[in-house]
Amino acid sequence: MAQILVVDDSSTVRTEVSEFLKGAGLSVTVAVDGKDGLDKLRADSGIKLVVSDVNMPNMDGLTMAEKIRGELRNAAVNIVMLTTENSPAMKERGKAAGIKGWIVKPFNGDAVVATFKKLVN
Amino acid sequence: MTIRQRIILLTLLTFAAIAAIGGYAMLQAHHNAADVKRVTEGVVPSTLASADLVAGLKDVQLATMALVFAPDANTLAQAADKLAQQQNHLRQALTLQLQQASNATQKGLVQQAQQSVASYFGAIDDTVKFKQAGQQDIAEANLFASVAQYQGELEQVIETLRVEKNRSKDDAINALNHSLARTATTLSGVTTVAVLILGAIGVMLYRQIVRPIGQMQSMMSNVAASQDFTQRLPVARQDEIGRSMLAFNTMIEQIQASSSQLKQKTTDIQSMLQNMPQGILTVQAQKVVHPEYSAYLATILETEEIAGRDVMDLLFSNTQLGADTLAQIDAVWGACIDEDAMNFDFNQHLMVGEIEKTMRDGRVKILDLNWSPILDDDGNTCRVMLCVRDVTELRQLAAEASEQRQELEIIGEVLAVSQDKFHDFIIGALRFIEDNQALIRLHPKGDAEAIAQLFRNMHTIKGNARTYGLQHLTHIVHQAEHTYEALRQPRPDVPWDPRMLLDELAQVRAAVERYARINEVSLGRKGPGKGQGEQYLLVDRGQVHDALHRLETVNTNNLIELVAARDAVRKALRLLGTEPLSQTLDSVIESLPRLAAELGKLAPRVVLADHGYVVRHQASGLLKNVFMHLMRNALDHGIEDADTRMGHGKTMAGTLKLHVAAHDAQVYLTLNDDGRGLALHRIRDIARARQLLPADAHPTDEQIARLVFLPGFSTAAVVTEISGRGVGMDAVQEFVRRERGDIAIRFEDQRVGAAFRAFSTVVTLPEALFEHIDTPVIHGVSTSAAATV
Repeated sequence: MAQILVVDDSSTVRTEVSEFLKGAGLSVTVAVDGKDGLDKLRADSGIKLVVSDVNMPNMDGLTMAEKIRGELRNAAVNIVMLTTENSPAMKERGKAAGIKGWIVKPFNGDAVVATFKKLVN
Repeated sequence: MTIRQRIILLTLLTFAAIAAIGGYAMLQAHHNAADVKRVTEGVVPSTLASADLVAGLKDVQLATMALVFAPDANTLAQAADKLAQQQNHLRQALTLQLQQASNATQKGLVQQAQQSVASYFGAIDDTVKFKQAGQQDIAEANLFASVAQYQGELEQVIETLRVEKNRSKDDAINALNHSLARTATTLSGVTTVAVLILGAIGVMLYRQIVRPIGQMQSMMSNVAASQDFTQRLPVARQDEIGRSMLAFNTMIEQIQASSSQLKQKTTDIQSMLQNMPQGILTVQAQKVVHPEYSAYLATILETEEIAGRDVMDLLFSNTQLGADTLAQIDAVWGACIDEDAMNFDFNQHLMVGEIEKTMRDGRVKILDLNWSPILDDDGNTCRVMLCVRDVTELRQLAAEASEQRQELEIIGEVLAVSQDKFHDFIIGALRFIEDNQALIRLHPKGDAEAIAQLFRNMHTIKGNARTYGLQHLTHIVHQAEHTYEALRQPRPDVPWDPRMLLDELAQVRAAVERYARINEVSLGRKGPGKGQGEQYLLVDRGQVHDALHRLETVNTNNLIELVAARDAVRKALRLLGTEPLSQTLDSVIESLPRLAAELGKLAPRVVLADHGYVVRHQASGLLKNVFMHLMRNALDHGIEDADTRMGHGKTMAGTLKLHVAAHDAQVYLTLNDDGRGLALHRIRDIARARQLLPADAHPTDEQIARLVFLPGFSTAAVVTEISGRGVGMDAVQEFVRRERGDIAIRFEDQRVGAAFRAFSTVVTLPEALFEHIDTPVIHGVSTSAAATV
């Protein structure tokens, strides 16, 4: 049982983000791409928040978000995207997939931790 | 009366009218029915009955006839019965007629008939008696005579009655018809009146209700359309409409109040946006700048094209920000706008707080940016507000303040070292630097021995600087020493780069020279001490300390505070190494009374007007020399003895005036006296005698005046002990010119060609030798002590 699922194909980002969140007292599990993310989410019903990269091999973050709402019928989990850019088209897809937040990289741990705690409780 | 009451009244009136009309109609119908009944059941049958009387009379006549002519007794008896029966009928019929008589005429006629019947029946009885008595002939005669006579009478009476009855019947029917016609007329009249009255009331109600409501509605529509909330509906009624109008007026009053409040707030905001010396803009979706922004933003960004622009283009183009940072900011807008407020927090660290923006003409402005979200009712960031402040000046002032602070600290450091020691330190340090420079140039590829020497030299400078507590210098020297130390290592991680080393050395030299300059210029301690101890400093150490403290504690974000601190410190710094003119000329002025005594004159008054100019220490000696000569000259050649002066109506003691003014980076020191003036004829004669002027020349007054600056010129008949000794005006001119100044004589009167002319001597010197301070340190009068003797 973990509270937060961190999905990123970069092991550096995965480690850095999850270590920071663990340090802040949150429980974290990781996935390497969208497909892996969906599997992890299926396996663990305790996940309340998904923090995901956008561009990933196999399945990108937005597709994963759409499948979480569609295939998994999981409307409850909060989804926050880590991104480097932000186009109107992306925002539109994100809105449809119920994406709650956009965090432009580089990630600032201190700015997110309080909100993340609120989202998982 | 309220509208409700009016409507109730109208309804009641309608009911009353209908009831009245109905009641009247019923009453009339009742009357008419009675009349009809009387006609049909009374008058008509009675008329018919009157016709029956004729028949009854005939019956009696027939019965009488039958009796009279009865053949036998039996028939006679039957006829007698029949007659009696018929007589009875007739009598009853008359009785009935009497009862039915409708007027006195009829009644009289009936009574007349009854009397006639009585006579008639009497005659019949007589006849019957005769018959019964068997006297047939008498009976018959009686029948034709008296019976027939009475019968004839009776017939006439009955006929009259019948005619009367018929007439009466026709009257009754006519009366009935009249009555019916009248009823119809009255009813239609009443109905018409009722309709008219109700119509009138209806019109009145229409006027009083519908029309005012219509007016109210049109006025309300008018207010709504014009949005002119100063309008009021005229309230002249107490009813529901009046109250509605009152309520409407109250409502628009409130709307007016809140709309004017809104208008006021909008105006306030607009006026703030127009006038605040700060740039404010908001950014909407797609990074577009909202059309409402503060006017000052145009001043800051130096463009009027703001509304609708892409904020990245408007604000962040031509800045020091790298492509990566720009890409991050570019992504931030989309991540925040129209998204949950938390996204603003998530991304706040990417919102840069200060940018350096290059303007079109190449100037760089430092802009302080303050970001804040504008949230909608759903808690989403609908726009991002940016407060833009031009902090270029602020940053410059802060840098200036920091520079001043460093300078004050250096002053403090320098003051702690004696002049001699400091002088030696500077000379030594510059020598070591020269040495290092030569070493670096000598070894383009580096050399261990040279590096060791470089290090030793720099280490010595650092050691001395540290010993004397010259911390700013120590810090810079340490950097250079550190480089040499690195180069000294067996495998140095820095390369031997002569250019870099020379640059570094230049920095050390600049630092040493800065210390030297502060020592010489600010503190006026040029060269080694002259054995007279430390020179007097005008600004005491407490003041330096205060200034330093002020700079250490100043709020670098507050422009006004920074300006005030800078100005205060600038003044303190300016006063360093300066003295008031009165102090510079102190010894000169003090020497005048004794000189005056030697010349047999009274000590002069000396008036100094420095106009806020103080003298830098390096100009002090020059001014002493120059004005020693000029003032003594004035006392010797210009100011007359007391008797001569009194003869010219002057005060016994003369006056020397010196005033200071500045113009075009030059300071003008103008000296004049109230003596006899410049002896132009004597100057010309001497010049001719000394062949400084051709004998046939006709110089102007100005040309003559300039002769006094020629070498070896002296105007005194005898070389006096005073001004003839030492230097002449040529030497004074030489001193002044050496400091890039000049000296000239200017006439103060218009008496061209006169033997003596009033004049001033104007000494011009570069402004750099002076400082101007806000308020004159000295202005006023310095009277020599001997003047009062």
